[in-house]
Amino acid sequence: MAELPQAVRGFWVTFATMFKKVVTEQYPEDSHKYPTQPRFHGRHQLNRWADGLEKCVGCELCAWACPADAILVEGASNTDEERFSPGERYGRVYQINYARCIFCGLCIEACPTRALTMTNAFELAEDNRASLIYEKQDLLAPLLAGMQLPPHDMVPGTTEQDYYANRVKGPAAVEGEVQS
Amino acid sequence: MTENTTTEIVPTVSVTIDGVALQVPKGTLAIRAAEMIGVEIPRFCDHPLLEPVAACRACLIEVEGMPKPQPACAQVVGEGMTIRTQQSSEVAKDAQEGVMEFLLINHPLDCPVCDKGGECPLQNQAMSAGRGESRFEGEKRTFDKPINVSAQILLDRERCVSCARCTRFADQIAGDPMIELLERGAQQQVGTASDEPFDSYFSGNTVQICPVGALTSAAYRFRSRPFDLVSVPTTCEHCASGCSLRTDYRRGVVTRRLAWDSPEVNEEWNCDKGRFAFAYLAEGRITTPLVREDGELRPASWPEAIDVAARGLAAAGSRTGVLTGGRLTQEDAYGYAKFARAVLGTDSIDFRARATSPEETQFLRAAVAGAPIGVTYTALEQAPFVLLVGFEPEDESPIVFLRLRKARTRVVSVGAVATRGLDKMGGELLAALPGQEAAALRDLPADIRAALEQPGAVILAGERIAASAGAPSAVSTLAASTGAALAWVPRRAGERGALDAGALAGLLPGGRPLIDAQARAQVAAIWGIDTAALPGLPGLSGDDLLTSASRVGLSALLVAGVDPVDLPDPALALRAVDTAAFVVALDHHHSAVTERADVVLPVALVTEKSGTFLDWEGRPRPFGQVFKDALTMSDATVLGMIASAIGTSAGAWDVNGIRRELTALGPWQGARAVVPGVQPQAAAGAGFRLASWRELLDAGVLQEGEPFLAATARPSAAIVSAAAAARLGSPATVTVTGPAGSVTLPLEVGAVLDDVVFVPMHSSECSIYRDLGARIGTAVDVTAGGAA
Amino acid sequence: MGLEESLPSGVLLTTVEKVAGYARKGSLWPATFGLACCAIEMMAVGGPRFDIARFGMEVFRASPRQADLMIVAGRVSQKMAPVLRQIYDQMPNPKWVLAMGVCSSSGGMFNNYAIVQGVDHVVPVDIYLPGCPPRPEMLIDAILKLHDDIQNTKLGANRRAQMRELEAEALIAPATQEMRGLLR
Repeated sequence: MAELPQAVRGFWVTFATMFKKVVTEQYPEDSHKYPTQPRFHGRHQLNRWADGLEKCVGCELCAWACPADAILVEGASNTDEERFSPGERYGRVYQINYARCIFCGLCIEACPTRALTMTNAFELAEDNRASLIYEKQDLLAPLLAGMQLPPHDMVPGTTEQDYYANRVKGPAAVEGEVQS
Repeated sequence: MTENTTTEIVPTVSVTIDGVALQVPKGTLAIRAAEMIGVEIPRFCDHPLLEPVAACRACLIEVEGMPKPQPACAQVVGEGMTIRTQQSSEVAKDAQEGVMEFLLINHPLDCPVCDKGGECPLQNQAMSAGRGESRFEGEKRTFDKPINVSAQILLDRERCVSCARCTRFADQIAGDPMIELLERGAQQQVGTASDEPFDSYFSGNTVQICPVGALTSAAYRFRSRPFDLVSVPTTCEHCASGCSLRTDYRRGVVTRRLAWDSPEVNEEWNCDKGRFAFAYLAEGRITTPLVREDGELRPASWPEAIDVAARGLAAAGSRTGVLTGGRLTQEDAYGYAKFARAVLGTDSIDFRARATSPEETQFLRAAVAGAPIGVTYTALEQAPFVLLVGFEPEDESPIVFLRLRKARTRVVSVGAVATRGLDKMGGELLAALPGQEAAALRDLPADIRAALEQPGAVILAGERIAASAGAPSAVSTLAASTGAALAWVPRRAGERGALDAGALAGLLPGGRPLIDAQARAQVAAIWGIDTAALPGLPGLSGDDLLTSASRVGLSALLVAGVDPVDLPDPALALRAVDTAAFVVALDHHHSAVTERADVVLPVALVTEKSGTFLDWEGRPRPFGQVFKDALTMSDATVLGMIASAIGTSAGAWDVNGIRRELTALGPWQGARAVVPGVQPQAAAGAGFRLASWRELLDAGVLQEGEPFLAATARPSAAIVSAAAAARLGSPATVTVTGPAGSVTLPLEVGAVLDDVVFVPMHSSECSIYRDLGARIGTAVDVTAGGAA
Repeated sequence: MGLEESLPSGVLLTTVEKVAGYARKGSLWPATFGLACCAIEMMAVGGPRFDIARFGMEVFRASPRQADLMIVAGRVSQKMAPVLRQIYDQMPNPKWVLAMGVCSSSGGMFNNYAIVQGVDHVVPVDIYLPGCPPRPEMLIDAILKLHDDIQNTKLGANRRAQMRELEAEALIAPATQEMRGLLR
């Protein structure tokens, strides 16, 4: 090898690389092949209880924890006619400004009802700043089977304590004994 | 500002706290003595302005020689006492932690949804003085939540720690003991009588002093959290009491107001109107200048609107009338006073949007305008005797009411109604028919005259003396002859400031008479104009101004924030606005005047500008701008723009410049106008005399948009004496008929003179000026029944 | 820029638009404007694993005259703002700006006097990419969204009509002062 001209030695590197495994990830075509880690901090989601009521109580602790001041929450009272969450209070306004959010996850740590969690979604680029502000309807988790779109009543015979203790398992199904 | 700063020697005692020896005044509570050396003992029930009760037991300390820990909030220190707090005593620390654990047993710990979360003494002290863990494993006691103790105040009973702050406040300070601790043991709870809600004018204070989130207000419930509010110290714009307030806002919207500590004025209290009536700040604003074109108001740019206003006003010149209303800051009122005199050359200016009389004008010029601070809140507290004339403190200046009640002063009210407020002050009524107060003052009983001759005695004259012929003269004469101090207590926040700023015909700033050559020279020098340019003779004021305008005596009107229904003759006011060839309105909300104006210029609200209100004492109560990025301009700034469009600058038009001019001018030292000498008039006509005043909570425009507050207002009723009610046959409702119309109201029996009927002046159900066409003292017909 | 701008609207112009868009999006040359941590991720995009050469963009130009996409990667301090603007001005038309990361999009968590609260205060931004910093896939996603925009860019008469429409919309849009919530 030593006596070969320098140029040929150089091309050998190129030639040998042709037989190596390709490291390039074909994003976006093959993006399913390269999932993020489950712990990846992506876009937020506002979760629901098993019957579809919102977990968020509008306590604003996420907004308080946010180092970038990217969250705006305004609470309001549930009424018997219009109930969005178990208990007295729900988040009437919920906005996250993704032009400021740094995905640090402190809001998730602060949430007392596990209403706010993070998904792995990250394709967030937009051509204007206003669309980077996600409203409550953009952040709420989709309705799964058995969930009803709020406003609706709590499962009959339950209190908000049953929800917080995770004893409500669906629109009518309640696990174990329910507090009276 | 105390009248006589007492330098008497206060006896002291020696005490040792946590090994630190100190001298404290005799009678000091241990909890305060500990504060002096910087030791903070946890507390809930303790409040410096309330009597000690030792209800919560959170402040237990160890006192040498006593077998058990003692509550520091009720333990008066004695000579040679040795006290050990949680800082140096395990016993005290253990006792405090134990009490905290007990208090938290039934507390729901729902801090995330509780309005107090973030500013909660229980939250803070559970962290600082509690154990991390609770040993309690049972079910917590729960109640239905929340319940309304009034339309405005909500009670979450399970959060309550039974500290009795609210009940003690209602009983000791407000004198409305409508809430009380009911039941015993774990079931102990705050409650009201089933048929009597907590409709106190001061109920909001209980929300502020509640050390947990048990009492919350419907208006602020779930509106915001304390940690994302920005707090600004402000002054209340609702009445002349001059309360310091804390205005909290978030993202450009005021979310709540709290009473702010101001020992010389409102101590730590305020009334519900000041606390809750702020919804008007956000709703229904005029956003752009409007100009009338082909009979219709249309939005216009600022330069165009200023140009139209300047041309119209310049054409009218000295034939312009200026009505400023009573809600302006002193700086803005000064702006109008200067604009009228220096730019338009007119002296027809009046700040009073209420009943007035030429006699009152004379009285204000002589006795009030530019006068230094005389009677103060402290003076009221120390006064041996207070005479009220045409003044109902609970409705018209609530903090004066609280002070008089606190001092337990002997109070006599000259009037026709022995009100609930007078009763709570322990006051007496000196009977006088409405409008006949002057006669009663002339024939004053000897004991009252003697009481007035005591040093420190005070006469408080309300704004209603204007509605009583001879009363302004009579109070002046009485004050002069007995040596009692006289104070004039207007109702609106801006009246005293406007008077001192010269927004009244015949007066230049600082109480200077317009006709005094020296006064004219001083003012002209500050304004940088020729003395001759000032109007030579006093202009029109009060009813004369409106009458003149309605007969084309004036060709233009400049109106700021005047609601015609506040005036004793609303029809005359509207006719004046209609008749005047050119009307410029500076206002923040639409009114009957802006609808008729030729140019409407939007101006800043109190949250959008800085300024000063003079309270009834004459004490300046300056406040800063809440919303620093507001785009609106204050009245004075807008007037300055019109002035420069007309081509006269006349000095400064911004707040700081105006303050400099006011300081440079100072109060007038020279000769003053003489007090009026009008004789009382005998009553004319037969029938019931109408007694009336503005109740604290009524249909005022600044209270709009706050349904919970309105629901706590006193229900409108016609109040007559028991004898008169029997004469009418004790019907459920009566119809009161005045010169212009009638209203049907529920009948209520009260401590009212016979032949007198009390009707609220401007409640949501009736307005005496608009509906009855009657004034205070007018003879009205009262008949049983009616369609209601 | 040339002949295509003066073509009359119609079938011909739309065809030209498509061809020009395809050519432009396939030959974007980024100007390096790495200012902070985001630049590390931007460099990763240039490396073999994410390989921006797949989109014909591997030539990061240090000279603005040879670049048509400015990737502002990182927080822009007030002192850097004029430099940023100068580089932008030196780039030949047509040119695009990509605000990479929350700092360049809005100031991010640095809401203070030292940092420009979004590079759109200085230059017109075509696409905002949140993230702190965004992972390389996010940058590629943003670039692809920008490619879509470029592909659908209108020319000549069509562009002028579009501008008029946008202008009319902007006139009735609420001012920042009137906005509530986070928009303000």
